[in-house]
Amino acid sequence: MSPDPWIWIGAFLTLMIFSFLYKDNPFYKFAEHLFVGVANGYYIVFYWHQALKPNLYEPLKAGEFIYLIPLLLGLLYFTRFIPKFGWLVRIPLGFMIGWGAGVSIPANIQAFIFRQIEGTVLTPNVFVNFWEGIWALVILFGVLCTVIYFFFSTEQRGLLKFSTRLGIIFIMLGFGASFGYTVMARVSLLIGRIQFLLGPWLGLIK
Amino acid sequence: MNFFERLTKIDRRVIYLILTIFVIMPFFLKFRIPQNIMPQTQRLFDFIEALNPDDNKAVLISFDYTPQTMPECHPMAMSILTHCLKKKIPVICVSFDPQAPGLAIEALDNVVKSLNEGAKTREDSVIYGRDYVYLGWKSGRIAALLEMGEKISSVFPRDYHNNYTDSLPLMQKIKNYRDISIGIILAAADYPQEWLMYAQARYGLKLGAGLTAVMAPKYYPFLQTGQLSGMIPGMKGAAEYENLLLKYGYTKDTGRAETGMNSQTLIHLLIIVLIIMGNIGYFATKKVSRFKKRSKDL
Repeated sequence: MSPDPWIWIGAFLTLMIFSFLYKDNPFYKFAEHLFVGVANGYYIVFYWHQALKPNLYEPLKAGEFIYLIPLLLGLLYFTRFIPKFGWLVRIPLGFMIGWGAGVSIPANIQAFIFRQIEGTVLTPNVFVNFWEGIWALVILFGVLCTVIYFFFSTEQRGLLKFSTRLGIIFIMLGFGASFGYTVMARVSLLIGRIQFLLGPWLGLIK
Repeated sequence: MNFFERLTKIDRRVIYLILTIFVIMPFFLKFRIPQNIMPQTQRLFDFIEALNPDDNKAVLISFDYTPQTMPECHPMAMSILTHCLKKKIPVICVSFDPQAPGLAIEALDNVVKSLNEGAKTREDSVIYGRDYVYLGWKSGRIAALLEMGEKISSVFPRDYHNNYTDSLPLMQKIKNYRDISIGIILAAADYPQEWLMYAQARYGLKLGAGLTAVMAPKYYPFLQTGQLSGMIPGMKGAAEYENLLLKYGYTKDTGRAETGMNSQTLIHLLIIVLIIMGNIGYFATKKVSRFKKRSKDL
């Protein structure tokens, strides 16, 4: 067993959280509240030392008064709490929305729309390898059927109905893959905790 | 209550107990369920394997996972660091998640310690500032990702240990994304998306990702388009990378992910069995209740 008191605290808190699997109880509640408190404390200290102090406090202290502008913009967010001056929050919001939209719209279109369309379009190169060609056709077919499934302007009859049925199969396959991966992720977290309890705490495994 | 009704009403606590037994069992029974290597993991491994230390380019690793996702992402970090540093490829590490710096330091310390145990000369050793650096955490990641394409040291003027970034020998050679052969994002949230948007779409940086399994399905389309040069999905991917390192002689043993995969496989089998049992119970009880209703009507 570990002589490290922090390992013991970690182990007991893990067991307290797991006790919820049996039923809600004061041990679970204690661990949950402790976690929320510690997490908040961590973030406050972290943001002060890693963000505010080096990026605002120290430059201001060194006489770089240009930093008063972002400070002022930041402080304007708090005017929401004063109804009379609440409208001032629009200034930093406008700044952030303008900057955010300007930066992200072209990048978004380039990375997620153009490149994904490129990946779907069939080119002669794709058919150099037989199986790559087959999978490229499946992808094209899947994309078209899925997009048609979300086309609600006309009643889905005939070929449209057939395509939407195929579309829903592709969507279900996607959900199935996501579910499988989600199960794997959650089980991994459990395995991680069990490894911690059996290894560093109890010393039963390496 | 008949047998089929019981199948649909198993107490969840019984399921949790069986699940826990199935997780613990493989650690003591010492058996190994063979794992195949998926193409996406192999692609990332091959990419790093093909890098030449004489190119004077570094691998950039962004540590963006949190303590709760350690079982999935930490083994990936250890494996990639081992792979790069054993190949003498310099590594630059950064973080944009506030919970990540502690984990990055732990991974770096463990890997460097184990590599330096076998080193006999200074040349063989892995040295901070020469072979790897950790630049720490930065707020405002979109602006940071864009600025790093121009000059990394203007985003991180000091490293995690408070050294001036420009004073580190490695950082005197690595100025921006042009000096980076690949950026690998180890993430538990949607950070890779921003790397794709800003570092790749704008500066053409090649990217790879080590992701939690929950996130993996979302990033498969980026593999197909070639936007990601490789991907390590969840604990399974981490175990595959550990196996590849063992196969190519970079390590003498596999790590924690591989050990966990035996439990993972058993749990998946258990879940499949439970789903089948639940469905048999559901359809059988439905059939019985329909039969009872019909005979009552008659």
